[in-house]
Amino acid sequence: MSAILKVLPNTRLRVALAAPDLWRRRILNEALTNAGYIVVDIGAPADVILADGNCVTDETRPTVILGESDRPTSGSLSRHADAHQIDAALRAVAAGLIVRSPAAKDAGFAPLPESDAQVLLTPRELEVLGGIMGGLTNKLIARQLDISQHTVKFHVESVFRKLGVRTRAGAVAKVLESSHFKTINL
Amino acid sequence: MVDRSNTLTQFSSALVERTAAANSVIAAIRLSESRHITATLWRSDAVITSEQSLPGREDFEVVTPNGSTVKAKPVGRDPGTNIAVLKLEHEAASDDLVSGGAQVGALAIAFGADARGHATARLGVVNAVGPEWYSSHGGRIEQKVVLDIDLARSEEGGPVFDVSGGLLGMSTFGPRRQVLVIPLATIERVVPILLKNGRISRGWLGVALRLVAVPEALGKAAGQPSGLMVMSLTEGGPAAAAGIVAGDIILSVDGASTRRMRNITARLGADSIGRKIDLQFIRGGTVTSRLATITERPSP
Repeated sequence: MSAILKVLPNTRLRVALAAPDLWRRRILNEALTNAGYIVVDIGAPADVILADGNCVTDETRPTVILGESDRPTSGSLSRHADAHQIDAALRAVAAGLIVRSPAAKDAGFAPLPESDAQVLLTPRELEVLGGIMGGLTNKLIARQLDISQHTVKFHVESVFRKLGVRTRAGAVAKVLESSHFKTINL
Repeated sequence: MVDRSNTLTQFSSALVERTAAANSVIAAIRLSESRHITATLWRSDAVITSEQSLPGREDFEVVTPNGSTVKAKPVGRDPGTNIAVLKLEHEAASDDLVSGGAQVGALAIAFGADARGHATARLGVVNAVGPEWYSSHGGRIEQKVVLDIDLARSEEGGPVFDVSGGLLGMSTFGPRRQVLVIPLATIERVVPILLKNGRISRGWLGVALRLVAVPEALGKAAGQPSGLMVMSLTEGGPAAAAGIVAGDIILSVDGASTRRMRNITARLGADSIGRKIDLQFIRGGTVTSRLATITERPSP
């Protein structure tokens, strides 16, 4: 019982980030830093590992994996998990819990996305959408992409119009239910 | 009064008969104490199952049709067509499979296995049939067959039959748990290669791509409204060696527009390895091209 009464020190967790995709790494790094984590290299001492996809092997530390993984891991989230889910999962896994998201295995064997009859975003709109998915504000997206807030607002409106949504949450939901935003490895 | 001659009774008895017959071609693959998936007995010493649901392990236990447990090793996996083959340590009695035909609206029966290796049955109609398609992993599937049937997780990988007892193929979860059939023609093409080589070789460029709209300002130069943006490259891979960098938007491959993604996957078959292809792309507002030499896709 005494363990439960121990005062928790308000320490910032050290997260080792493994993400081969540059664009994803930038967004995850920014999201983690904004949430108050100390982001370190994969080789450095860390409290918890965040891996984007199947990119860590022989990792014995608590690990949260985003996306499909065939390795047993303490934390398993969808590739499209938002900032709140990632934050909750990292804290839970660092505390020795196991985290699963119900959607993580629902992807299924899918056809190649084809460009007809579907929503296509420009590269800039995709970057802005990535920021929205990461839970960033327009201000932070602007800083990250090194463009003005006004331009970000313009792109956000265009993304909303193309996706047929009115809110950021709506945009996130749309992306999660759509296979059109998948990356294809060839 | 019990009437044993009405059509419903006959229909039901026929289904019971089919299920009894299916019992000899299904098996359960144990994943843990409480979890399993279904396998279809392909021949007396090999079963096939859904690749996406088979964990990456070296050894499995398979409960065969007669209820005995046999050790099995995965000998080949193809994420492209979602087929995995496991070789059984001891042979099991197998039945000959007869090929069937998928027709929209026709009844189909999907079988699974319970933990003891006994058949479970699901009945529904064929919801849609379409021409050959390419999976997001680049594999070619001979025919699109969608079922109006719900499956439990443990039932995936089992055989799907038409009502005359012809095999349509293997059940597979598609997007949003839609149930698809990997057709017999695909299985017959892929399984012998998997048994022999353990994998299906495919051409490889070493790029991660995403469909994007071409920015308006570049639309005229590009000549098409969409392309494939390079999100990341494998270091030392064919595309990287050819000088492609992240952010390039690929417009065509050997002159075939990447507006249709299958134009590019169709050019990366096993026979493409070693061939040079011409990649046309937008970089910094201008259209350029580079030659890349296709190599074999490394094992995952």
